[in-house]
Amino acid sequence: MKEVSYYPGCSLHGTAREYDESLRGVCHLLNIQLHELEDWTCCGASSAHCTDEGLAFQLAARNLALAEKQGLELLVPCVACYSRFKTAEKEVKDHSERHSKEIQFPYQGNVPIRYALDFFCEESILEEVKRKKVKPLSGLKVVCYYGCLTVRPPKVTGIRDYENPQHMDRLMELLGAEPIQWSYKTDCCGASLVMTRTDIVRSLGQKLLSMAKEAEADCVVTGCPMCQSNLDTRQDEFEKEGGQTFDLPILYFTELMGLALGHRDVKKWLGRHLTDPIKVLESKGLL
Amino acid sequence: MAEKVGAVMVVGGGIAGIQASLDLAESGYYVYLVEASPAIGGVMAQLDKTFPTNDCSMCILSPKLVEAGRHLNIQTLTYSEVVSVEGEPGNFEITVRKKPRYVDPAKCTGCGECPQACPVNIKSEFDEALVNQKAIYRPYAQAFPNIFTIEKGDRAPCTLTCPAQINVQGYVALTSVGKYKEALSLIRENLPLPGILGRICPHPCEKECNRKELDQPIAICELKRFLADQVKEEIPVQKEETKEERVAIVGSGPAGLTAAAFLAQKGYPVTIFESLPVIGGMLHVGIPSYRLPREVIDQEVKAIQSLGVEIKTNSPVGPNLSFDDLFKEGYQAIFVAVGAHRDQKLGIPGEENPNVIPGVVFLRKANLGQKVEVGQQVAVVGGGNVAIDAARTALRMGAKEVNLFYRRSREEMPAYEEDVEEAEVEGIKFNFLSTPVEILSKGKEGITLHLIRMELGEPDASGRRRPIPIQGSDFYAEVDTLIPAIGQVPDLSFMQGMGLEVTSKGTIQVDPITLQTSRKGIFAGGDAVSGPWIAIEAVAAGKEAALSIDRFLRGKDLYEGRGKPKPSKARFEDIYAGQSKSPREKVATIPLEERQKTFAEVKKGWTEEQAHREALRCLNCGYCSECLQCATLCKAGAIQHQMAEEMVKFKVGSIILCPGFDEFDAIRLTPYGYGRFANVVTSIQFERILSASGPFQGNLLRPSDQKPPKKVAWIQCAGSRDMAGNGGNEYCSSVCCMYAIKEAVIAKEHHHEVEPTIFYMDIRAHGKDFDAYYERAKNEYGVRFIRSMISRVAERPKTKNLLITYIDPEGHLKEEEFDLVVLSVGLTPSKGAKDLAKKLGLQLDPYGFCKTEEFSPLQTSQPGIYVCGAFQGPKDIPETVAQASAAVTSASTLLSDVRATLTKKKEYPLEVDVMDQEPRIGVFVCHCGINIGGVVNVPEVKEYAKTLDHVVYVDENLYTCSQDTQEKIKKAIQENRLNRVVVASCSPRTHEPLFQETIREVGLNKYLFEMTNIRDQCSWVHMHQPKEATEKAKELLRMVVAKASLLRPLKEPLVEVNRKGLVIGGGLSGMRAALKLAQQGFECALIEREAELGGNLRHIYSTLEGNDPQALLKEIIEEVTKNPNIQVFTKSELKTINGYVGNFKSTLYVNGSEKEYDHGVIIVAVGAKERTPTEYLYGQDPRVITQKELEEKIALHWEKINSYRHIVMIQCVGSRTPERPNCSRICCSLAVKNALKIKEKNPEIKITILYRDMRTYGLMERYYTQARHQGIQFIPYQLDSKPELRVDSGLLNLKVKDQILGEEVLIQPDLVVLASAIVPYENESLAKTLKVPLTADGFFLEAHMKLRPVDFATDGIFLAGLAHFPKSISESLSQADAAVARATSVIAKGYVSVLPTISEVDPNRCVGCGLCELLCPFSAIRVVETERGSKAETIAASCKGCGVCASSCTQRAITIHHFTDEQLSAQIEALAPLKEKEAA
Repeated sequence: MKEVSYYPGCSLHGTAREYDESLRGVCHLLNIQLHELEDWTCCGASSAHCTDEGLAFQLAARNLALAEKQGLELLVPCVACYSRFKTAEKEVKDHSERHSKEIQFPYQGNVPIRYALDFFCEESILEEVKRKKVKPLSGLKVVCYYGCLTVRPPKVTGIRDYENPQHMDRLMELLGAEPIQWSYKTDCCGASLVMTRTDIVRSLGQKLLSMAKEAEADCVVTGCPMCQSNLDTRQDEFEKEGGQTFDLPILYFTELMGLALGHRDVKKWLGRHLTDPIKVLESKGLL
Repeated sequence: MAEKVGAVMVVGGGIAGIQASLDLAESGYYVYLVEASPAIGGVMAQLDKTFPTNDCSMCILSPKLVEAGRHLNIQTLTYSEVVSVEGEPGNFEITVRKKPRYVDPAKCTGCGECPQACPVNIKSEFDEALVNQKAIYRPYAQAFPNIFTIEKGDRAPCTLTCPAQINVQGYVALTSVGKYKEALSLIRENLPLPGILGRICPHPCEKECNRKELDQPIAICELKRFLADQVKEEIPVQKEETKEERVAIVGSGPAGLTAAAFLAQKGYPVTIFESLPVIGGMLHVGIPSYRLPREVIDQEVKAIQSLGVEIKTNSPVGPNLSFDDLFKEGYQAIFVAVGAHRDQKLGIPGEENPNVIPGVVFLRKANLGQKVEVGQQVAVVGGGNVAIDAARTALRMGAKEVNLFYRRSREEMPAYEEDVEEAEVEGIKFNFLSTPVEILSKGKEGITLHLIRMELGEPDASGRRRPIPIQGSDFYAEVDTLIPAIGQVPDLSFMQGMGLEVTSKGTIQVDPITLQTSRKGIFAGGDAVSGPWIAIEAVAAGKEAALSIDRFLRGKDLYEGRGKPKPSKARFEDIYAGQSKSPREKVATIPLEERQKTFAEVKKGWTEEQAHREALRCLNCGYCSECLQCATLCKAGAIQHQMAEEMVKFKVGSIILCPGFDEFDAIRLTPYGYGRFANVVTSIQFERILSASGPFQGNLLRPSDQKPPKKVAWIQCAGSRDMAGNGGNEYCSSVCCMYAIKEAVIAKEHHHEVEPTIFYMDIRAHGKDFDAYYERAKNEYGVRFIRSMISRVAERPKTKNLLITYIDPEGHLKEEEFDLVVLSVGLTPSKGAKDLAKKLGLQLDPYGFCKTEEFSPLQTSQPGIYVCGAFQGPKDIPETVAQASAAVTSASTLLSDVRATLTKKKEYPLEVDVMDQEPRIGVFVCHCGINIGGVVNVPEVKEYAKTLDHVVYVDENLYTCSQDTQEKIKKAIQENRLNRVVVASCSPRTHEPLFQETIREVGLNKYLFEMTNIRDQCSWVHMHQPKEATEKAKELLRMVVAKASLLRPLKEPLVEVNRKGLVIGGGLSGMRAALKLAQQGFECALIEREAELGGNLRHIYSTLEGNDPQALLKEIIEEVTKNPNIQVFTKSELKTINGYVGNFKSTLYVNGSEKEYDHGVIIVAVGAKERTPTEYLYGQDPRVITQKELEEKIALHWEKINSYRHIVMIQCVGSRTPERPNCSRICCSLAVKNALKIKEKNPEIKITILYRDMRTYGLMERYYTQARHQGIQFIPYQLDSKPELRVDSGLLNLKVKDQILGEEVLIQPDLVVLASAIVPYENESLAKTLKVPLTADGFFLEAHMKLRPVDFATDGIFLAGLAHFPKSISESLSQADAAVARATSVIAKGYVSVLPTISEVDPNRCVGCGLCELLCPFSAIRVVETERGSKAETIAASCKGCGVCASSCTQRAITIHHFTDEQLSAQIEALAPLKEKEAA
């Protein structure tokens, strides 16, 4: 039994419920116990980081301080939260003297902050997945979409292959799916501009989905709630933009893990998507 | 101090090394040319064309290869590396390691047959991994030496893992090309039982297979079975002659059979004593036939018997037949291989019950066809192979249900995974973590098994988790039969009292290396020694025992050379790179119902297609597979797979390093997708794609689909000028702009439809005539240039086209699709060079290039060791070649007192006078292995030759060029008094000098030789028309024989040379040249038109690198004026010049009076000057000055400069315009230098530089970077919107359109500095006097822009400094030294040899029209006034025999010796009669 602290963040309690549910489901099957941080608050990703640097730091530090008290590694499924936390961690490590004065919470920078995708791609967990896999995702062609913040900025994430990451591809291969190599793994989907520049969002989203389609993917796999909701909910707009029908389900990697591990709630998770994934999974004999 | 040595080592065989070696050897030094790769030639050999002349790179390189390769005083050590250097300047002791080629250079003729036999494909390094080559290869067709090399890595892991050391990679490779018989025979060298092991071997090799990292390991075992099944014919076995000593073997299992087979091959009579009624031991009685059919055993046993092995069944050794009895019967050695046939007991109550049958007993009975009743319910206990075999056998014998109980879990089961899976499919029920504790009898009906469940605790000694009984978990099973199968031990009861020692484990004790037991002459192996283990180990033991017994019987040392070899560090890099995945071939099984009832073999064999597919999956980890096919094929016997490396020691006085560069590893530029996207290639790959000898035979195709690309993009600065820290280098690689432009132009020439686009930051076309080339590319070829740096390339998944996002000239973001993207990768110091520098203790610069000083650019940090070429800094070919020659001057200056002490001169016998003799022609026709002989009927051609006039001797040779054939030819000449020799074989280019040498050695003049090429132009091009090719060969031969009968001996006269030099121009280059000549002991005159020496250097006060030019000036003037070998004439000019190389007579104007000067060579170093600008108010407003004036002001009147607030510099004033299309090369760095100097003195002064392309090429890029960091502003402008300068209300107003902003900018500077063009002096009259050409710009034009950068086409005249083209101080110094080296190679010898194959004018016919003089490219023929009027005459020392004069002479007054009209007409005549016959 492995135990970790868990910070779901606002998305996973709202628009990305299926991400939360599937992640919890997968952890259950893999014998990983999640301890949700008590009294967690906003990470600062929504507006704080572009309006008040100090506040943005304090918000992240408050949650990290809670985690530090628990003394476990902290599992963070939302990539925006992850980025805020890693930034705060770097701040503390690079400028300890500065922050020891400002900081209102006893955060020392000692919590291992683990983004969910990185966490599940660890060798020991992959081994466990391999052992417990009951339904290989044979015949399912996927494109892995890491988005922008999963791997960048490398100074913050510490990831080396940030230009062409491979870990999600390896995970998908292990689940029995066929990850297709494509050039748009880490391109921006435009989610941060959905309120301000919808024209840019449309052209970015259209490009991504048309390339995924050209790669003959059955679905797009991601680990970012913003990418997922942007690409899923606006798909009709993107279709209009390019005059091309996509009908491409945008799935969380945890949902496919759950499917391969035989979780009984998979259909419930998948039912929450706007672009229906059930149809394509059924056609492959996977549901 | 040790005595100086008149030899030099040159490290690196690229163009620099070749040039340095040739200059050294010609200047009187013996040269060791050390090259790491198998051939000299370097990167230049890989290039397609060279800029700016579009010459074929190979065509201009290849004569140099031949020249260097054949030079008497150059010893090339290829495939070699420097191990150590000791000693001091003048006397170094060198050790060089010659890596084994596995091909004997003395025997290899380069015929090119061997690759066809090689089954192994590896990536071709020469073709930049675009295609495959064989493991035995020659980098390229023109390679010198023309010898093949076998690429070997470490042995493949499969072979290393195999206990019997079977050459797995070898047989897999042979299978991939369908050579099944050869493959099987390779297996048999180590394993006489391939069909058996191909079925039952647990194949530990596959666990180590490198392919598992990619997908799944190769199905090695299955391939073995395929081969054994596929090859029906008998494999002949080499058997040694029969020996007397007889050998007895106890046991006919795999160990016994193997030992018997190998001993029988050695010639020993062998008898096997087998206690069982059948042969094969456990193979027969242990393994059921559904896994190993009996006929397979029978067949392989039969093959062993056919070697003469006698097998006695039912013949147990024991009390009735002891070892002593065997010795008494005359056996002289015994091998005991009795296996492990006794079962281990469960050790629980009730085991003696008759319904309990031990596994081995059960299997033995079943396999011998004895009846065994198992009932309906069977329980098997155990997790090994015997347990699984017993369970499956029980099922086949009628059991309804078979339950297998194992005390651990499935993961710990020792049985083979495949067998467990098969058993599961067949319906065996597995019960893990349970073990019996008691057997309760139910009488006749069977037994009740009392079991207990287990759980796994901590790992035990075997590494597996120890099972622990769970208290109270007892359960019961009702069964009819219980088969315990928990292990076996050897049954050694038979040999009690026979004197063999036994271990505590109950096995026979042996010496681990020799397998000898405690009794001399008795050996043991297999399961009897190891305990129950895998069959292939038993085979290995049998093989070792056979070796021991042979040595024992021959009285040899049993231990010598044995013991497990230490596995060396494996070298399997990059074997997965670019490999696509392909799944392991599946094995079919017979239907399940058959499997449950019958003993038919479960697994079906493979079809040929399946085996082929599987074999092709092999990654060839060890490169050469040692299948030995090449050795079998090579008719010259050159292949030596056992070759070892060799250490060579020699002494030299100096060392020149030119190890070249590596291209930047594009894989590091991840965003460009190199290595991931098929159609993203490097520039050097693109060179190969363009090359006629490249992967697509010169068709411009893209890698993904081999279709011609239309839109091709170049991305410049890939890995260069990279400040982002993405793994790129900070410096500029200097050559990429030009090669990209050239590639774009050549691509366009290949296919007119190609649309090339070059994305760049600055176009750096800073070399001579480069800008004109750039303009042509833009305007004539339509190459599109876009100034935009590309951040990434995306691939379209289906078409594999590439998407590039860039900013267009209007500032808009654009996305464009291309078919092919070329990355203009930069140059980095080669890895080998870095290692070498470490060994020599050389300092490197921060980028890893060899550290040198600005004013001594070739001197490394170690005295006596010099550097040239790209290891000194990125540079193009002409600079490299010039530096190579310059390095020679450095070495030569050090060693001039031991010049010509070690060079060799060949002595030949006195030449036979043949002029009075009738022609007696000997003809030698070559088979060239099967290159010619496989197509042309050589014996027929030979017979035909006999019928030709004057032919008195004819022979045919397998390889006419081989060493022994030379002796044959000499003998034939002497015995038959031949006076003309003809060889019909391959290319005269490579082979004519060899044969000429041969005939000279027996006193024939070398011009009495003729050659015709019946290979390249006959057998190769007509390989499918042997009959016609044979006829053509006859015709070719007939023609050449006709010419040969008219051959005349020619003399090669020597003309003495005057060893003095004349240097024209007293600037830095001229002074340096004079000084270097003088320092080597040659006198010279230095003439300068000004009153003072120094030239431009007098006006230079600083350099970018911070050195003091004025100090340099002072020092060199002092040295020049003091040196007694130099006569300095100031205020002087050259008036007239007469004569030719080695013998010039000049008239000089010295201070108004004339002076005669005789000399052998001339160096032209007349310099160039800054143009006086006519634009930008220069001369009208004092606030507009030139860079030269600025430099002087900074140095001498700083207070003036210091008063300015804003200084603007304008670049390209008078350069790169339609009138003067070329770049002045030095102005960008000059501007940066002066700007930095100002900033250094007063950072407050604002500086703006208006430029078109910043050309701070090479390592100077760092100063450009520094300038930007210092806040110097750079604004690009375009030629069509030049800056405008006006004076308004007394203020300077400068308007410029910023190309990046797209907006007009207004500046009000205090000072405007013009980077005015560097222009030549009025050189026309000097050029006319010297009869040398000028470029359109008025600079002197060298003989060849790439390979002869300091020579003129006219012999004996050389070029240096700004007279050639604008250049920096350090470049001028190199070039001056280069000119000296070239001049020295003429005067050092003291003579020039005159080519005899030159023109001669018949004065009776000549009318003195002068056409020949006009046309001669070498100024080697001139019209002179004679008593009989104007007549042309050849200047023999300058003539190259090109024939332009002879073919253009309207009077037919000119003859070219050796190609006379008579000879050529005879040749044509010889062909003509055939035509007449055909017409008839």
